[in-house]
Amino acid sequence: MNGLRNRNQKIFSYLYDQYSSTLYGVVVKVLNDHASAGDVLQDVFLKIWKNIDQYDEERGRLFTWMLNICRNTAIDVLRSKAHKLDQKIQNITDDVHIGNEPLIVHMQVDHLGFSKMLERLSKDQRNLIDLAYYKGCTQEEIARVLDIPLGTVKTRMRTALNHLKQIVKNIDK
Amino acid sequence: MDAQKVISSGIIELYVTGMATEQEVRELEAAMLQSPEVLAAVEEYRRSLEYYVAAQVLPPDHAIKDSLLNQINNLEASGSAQTFMSSTLPGHPKATLMEETLIPEKRLSWKVVAAAAFILLIGSIIMNFFYYKKWKDFREYKDKYQALLLSQNSIMSTNDKYKARLEELEQTLNVMEDPAVLKVNMPGTKLKPDAVATVFWNTQNKQVYLKVNNLPEPAAGKQYQLWAIVDGKPVDMGVFEMGDTAKLLQKMKVTDKVQMFAVTLENKGGAAQPTLEQMYVAGKIPG
Repeated sequence: MNGLRNRNQKIFSYLYDQYSSTLYGVVVKVLNDHASAGDVLQDVFLKIWKNIDQYDEERGRLFTWMLNICRNTAIDVLRSKAHKLDQKIQNITDDVHIGNEPLIVHMQVDHLGFSKMLERLSKDQRNLIDLAYYKGCTQEEIARVLDIPLGTVKTRMRTALNHLKQIVKNIDK
Repeated sequence: MDAQKVISSGIIELYVTGMATEQEVRELEAAMLQSPEVLAAVEEYRRSLEYYVAAQVLPPDHAIKDSLLNQINNLEASGSAQTFMSSTLPGHPKATLMEETLIPEKRLSWKVVAAAAFILLIGSIIMNFFYYKKWKDFREYKDKYQALLLSQNSIMSTNDKYKARLEELEQTLNVMEDPAVLKVNMPGTKLKPDAVATVFWNTQNKQVYLKVNNLPEPAAGKQYQLWAIVDGKPVDMGVFEMGDTAKLLQKMKVTDKVQMFAVTLENKGGAAQPTLEQMYVAGKIPG
């Protein structure tokens, strides 16, 4: 941590090697666009480099902090790309639609290294998590996109996350 | 708020996926500070979600890392200047996360500027050499052009001179070649035995021309005069010039009849009657 605070480039390079694949995975998931994902990833790492002073070890892990910067930056880009809510929703519905195509799921397995354990989550559950986490959708937006009542969004999200938690717990054992 | 109640409320699930409202976030973060139990629960959900995220890794292009390290190097280089700038601006509001990240993209690093300046300098030097050579060539060509112009002028004037002379010669030739023209040789008298002059008399239009072959230059105030002897009486055919003019055929007066031509030296302007003692050449019409 001290190395990073003193802006040690070797440590930054190490940090990049450790986390760039994960963060790039996030950016691509958010934007669905490999072309701009590289630029956004650079942006993310520059933010990490410049704002490392603001990281507080007592408030959370470094990975969590980096992941938040990455997710927020990518979602900001996504929002600036689709100013109007409708466009954003369109983007989401497209994504949901694509997610339902077996071929695309297969591609995700190849490209994103989608591990077997995640396949234990249902497609619907993954969609729900993705809409919230990667697309930054509010509960209302998700309800609109999936055409389900607001209360159901909450319930399904709880079920999905608890399922995920259970899966992770089993792996950790 | 009771820890268990918070945990079972479902707010944590919304919080970690970013779906919680601002108020919910505030409430939960307050609870996290108060209760280690809540904090642990949040952390558990968070780890699960991070597991989910980490399971979907995708290696970025290698070029991105090099580009990043370059950008960071540039930031480092301009870092001290930036610090100085911000410290001299009191009360300057701290830039937001978004604004800060925009700066390195918009601001050119000094290295880039220096490199660009250097390239421009080299380019300028090359252009200077190029244009200096051009200018030198141009100056040389200008001198040559002026010299050529001068020589062309002199050639033109010489040419004019020759042209005029050629015309005169042509006229002479035309007169001499005309079959109607009679050539009268006038050999020197006792006064000047080697003197020679020739008269060309056009028998059709009666025009008389004179060609001086050899006559001494007259003294100042004196002038030669041509006479035609018609029926034993001298008729004035006019005075004539010597020098360059004498080399050509000189047009004299007209006479209908003539038996003989003679040249005497008279006072300038000519005389009414020839001074016979001063007769230099004389010749009879042949035939």
